[in-house]
Amino acid sequence: MRSVRSFRFRPRELPSGNMKLLTHNLLSSHVRGVGTRGFPLRLQATEVRINPVEFNPDFVARMIPKVEWAALVQAADTLNLAEVPKEPTEGYEHDETFLRKMHHVLLEVDVLEGTLQCPESGRLFPISRGIPNMLLNDEETET
Amino acid sequence: MKKLKSAERLFLLIKKQLPITVPSLSKGKILNEMQRLVNDDPGSWLKAISLWKELLECDTKREKVSQRDANPLKRKVGENEIVIAKKLKVEEIQMVEESHREDQRDRLTEYYLEQGNAVTQTEALQEQGPQNDLVKTAGTENLEDLTFRVSCRCSGNIVKAFTAQEVGRVVGIALMRKFGWKANLRNPYLEIFMHLSDAYSVVGIPLFRVPLASRTYIQTAGLRSTIAWAMASIAEIKAGALVLDPMCGLGTILVEAAEEWPDVYYMGADVSDSQLLGACDNLKAAGLADKIDLLQGSVTELPLPSQSVDVIISDIPFGKKFKLGKDIKSILQEMERVLRVDGTMVLLLSEDHRRHLRDCRGSSILLTSQESPPEMKMLLNPDKRTGTSDKVSPSHKASSSQCPRRVLACGSLVPVECFKVSLGKTDAFICKYKKAHASGLSAAGCHEPGAQPEMATLQEFPSPQDSL
Repeated sequence: MRSVRSFRFRPRELPSGNMKLLTHNLLSSHVRGVGTRGFPLRLQATEVRINPVEFNPDFVARMIPKVEWAALVQAADTLNLAEVPKEPTEGYEHDETFLRKMHHVLLEVDVLEGTLQCPESGRLFPISRGIPNMLLNDEETET
Repeated sequence: MKKLKSAERLFLLIKKQLPITVPSLSKGKILNEMQRLVNDDPGSWLKAISLWKELLECDTKREKVSQRDANPLKRKVGENEIVIAKKLKVEEIQMVEESHREDQRDRLTEYYLEQGNAVTQTEALQEQGPQNDLVKTAGTENLEDLTFRVSCRCSGNIVKAFTAQEVGRVVGIALMRKFGWKANLRNPYLEIFMHLSDAYSVVGIPLFRVPLASRTYIQTAGLRSTIAWAMASIAEIKAGALVLDPMCGLGTILVEAAEEWPDVYYMGADVSDSQLLGACDNLKAAGLADKIDLLQGSVTELPLPSQSVDVIISDIPFGKKFKLGKDIKSILQEMERVLRVDGTMVLLLSEDHRRHLRDCRGSSILLTSQESPPEMKMLLNPDKRTGTSDKVSPSHKASSSQCPRRVLACGSLVPVECFKVSLGKTDAFICKYKKAHASGLSAAGCHEPGAQPEMATLQEFPSPQDSL
């Protein structure tokens, strides 16, 4: 039985969600036994969209200290984004160029389809329609 | 005024009086009393109605010049207490005219929200007197061809004597006689709401046709928006914070929070595909898809590192679907894990959940007698302002006398405040917690003999939380 979501009938609507790199920067695998080695998740994207977001320098500046830099650089590389600095520059709070770059990377890149892979267990978590599915099945959960 | 987020409905007060004392008066006398509501002071009726008309006009003007007013009104909201939806389905919050604002909209009068406090009401009514002179009562002539409808609600003793319809009819007839208005039950121009209870007799005019709780920016409503906003407002959301709703459902709480506190990053998680799709719709409709990111995951296995989130706000599902006991405990544990130290957690709990949590705690700590009443208390009297609830649980102090180390060892979520709210048919509790220190710290000593590890609670003993 042909599913409705065949290419011919695919409605031209916007996908539901949009996973931002800031979110990716926080996601970690909760597979049993993995612990802190479940971060960062290896990102692979098959569909990405650049989506302009209003620049709020204050907000970006506040997010910078929360960012796991290595994970962000890795993700940006995978997506072939422009060079992301290895670490925040001194006095970044007032460096508009820097903040704009970070704003773009963290908030304007929407991953719509792809996978996230747990570095320790290899488990793949799918991202579909912009929403990462991190649900674990019974064997994988820690109890 | 439409920006008031925690109010269900707003009414323009016409009259507020002491209650009609039922037992002492005969039926005839009570009817008389009711008629007096109308007849005694026709002036206040007319004033209120002309005010109301003004507001309607201003409303249409406002649509054109909306931006300018947004901020002053918001400031006003900030000054007021948060009104929490009470038990009545139709909420009556009295509004009294306070002052005239001097700007181009000089006929727009400012209003402030009040809890049902008789004293302040009369003061305010007195204020109304001189102020109203400034209000042009030129509209009085036009009031003759008003159509109206009286809706009445009775509670308390008066229910024994009269039904709501009877009261409505009596007042309606009095109004017709007094002012010459016509009654129109189907589609009245003016609606009058009355509430007769044991505490007061109130008459008012609703300011908006649609309850404020129905937001323009929400597509599919889940949790009542007023409650969602109230929860977000006590969660201490600061700019640059990371806020998580681990059981976001349709995203109501996140939307309310993001509308009010925009410089924040929000994340919502849910297990259900359909709920998440609904949430996506809501986010899009509200234009908040860039501030709120959604993910699919279980609250018992949050895919986030420990201590990564500043604020957690959540509506714990009620009902049979969620078994009490183990599930609640693992949910709370997981939420506690991802919450940063000094982070805030605000939960909406059913009576059952709350009782269960409290009972658990009671049994695992020796000092049952000392701790039970004050620990998580404060059923907020709807008449009081929200600020008067007590702070940190005294059980901490109690336990410290027995075992000084225990205060720190017993879990890290400290209850701060708890408010009882009405969700229409049922009641629930908004409970706020703060995280005191990193969970899972094993303080040397202080394990109560015989304490069952499964009965772990918010104040639980350090169990091996997590391999993280």
